[in-house]
Amino acid sequence: MSELIDHLMATPLGAIALTLAAYVAGQHLFRRLGAPGWCPPILVAALLLAGVLALAGIDYADYREGAGWLMLLLGPATVALGLPLYQQMPHIRALWRPLLACLPLSALLAALYAVGIAWLLGAPPEILASLAPKSVTAPIAIGITEQIGGSVSLMMGGLLITGVAAIGFVTLLARWMGIRDERILGFALGINGHALGTVRAFEISPTAGAFASLGMSLTGILTALLLPLAWRLPGLVG
Amino acid sequence: MAVLRGFLWLLGFLLLDDALVTLAGLPVSAGVAGMLLLSAWLMLRGTVSADIAAAAQPLIGVLAMLIMPGVVGIFFMLDALAGQWTAILAALVLGTLLSVFTTLWLMRRLMGGGDHE
Repeated sequence: MSELIDHLMATPLGAIALTLAAYVAGQHLFRRLGAPGWCPPILVAALLLAGVLALAGIDYADYREGAGWLMLLLGPATVALGLPLYQQMPHIRALWRPLLACLPLSALLAALYAVGIAWLLGAPPEILASLAPKSVTAPIAIGITEQIGGSVSLMMGGLLITGVAAIGFVTLLARWMGIRDERILGFALGINGHALGTVRAFEISPTAGAFASLGMSLTGILTALLLPLAWRLPGLVG
Repeated sequence: MAVLRGFLWLLGFLLLDDALVTLAGLPVSAGVAGMLLLSAWLMLRGTVSADIAAAAQPLIGVLAMLIMPGVVGIFFMLDALAGQWTAILAALVLGTLLSVFTTLWLMRRLMGGGDHE
């Protein structure tokens, strides 16, 4: 049995099929559970996938090597977000002032809150560096993490937790604060929840999705420019 | 064919921006630079080609799936990071709660200031 599994995982096709299957099954299970707002389908799918890998005794490094081919599509998929961004440009233009004022502070605080909390709880510098880009979209976050000396695997895991938390908290806090404006919800999802938040925003509406794409891309760019600089400031990492 | 042509457009933008970003030494990923350039290019043209739409929409739909191979790695690091999980989870969950609150609060304040449509 394990030889057969090794044989099937020898090419990237096995890992890719496994990922697709977990994603489709995750979506299905999510709907069967009544589409709960606090648990996005991606979390269901990730848990399923991790469970299958563990049960089948597939080494994560082997899986990752094959499934890496799938992640290559992240590049063109990110470029594709330029389309909704263009389509919603009139909405974005009407709000450029508050968007521009809100973004730098929000992006900065997204990193600062996490690093501050982890630092207070005594996490070592490597973990701080892996947590700092937690709200940045994966392709950019990988570059930042390598630059400031964090662990890419931990950072990617942090992206999952952050994305799931951002989706839950935006839903909860918006209800609590009485915010129904799709543009605000989308923007908050994109700034704090990167690609996962953006996918959720597109489920709300195309407008929310475009604002999320905008928030995600600007947060990514700003963090990529400023975080490596901030990291060199003495005293921060102690 | 429309999907293929559209996908080729997306790859073209990606590679062009990869070249630009590399030559200019910018710390931004080619994908994000490509997104901004695509949107600027569409603004210049004033219209969206059916080819690009045909390739872009399905790709955006599976964006979450594309990062799955990376993010499931967290479940295989449980032992390696033993003892650090309280700090990590508190930072991620509490940090996200605070930053989501900040964004929502800021946007509500800033948008209340007159910039309505």
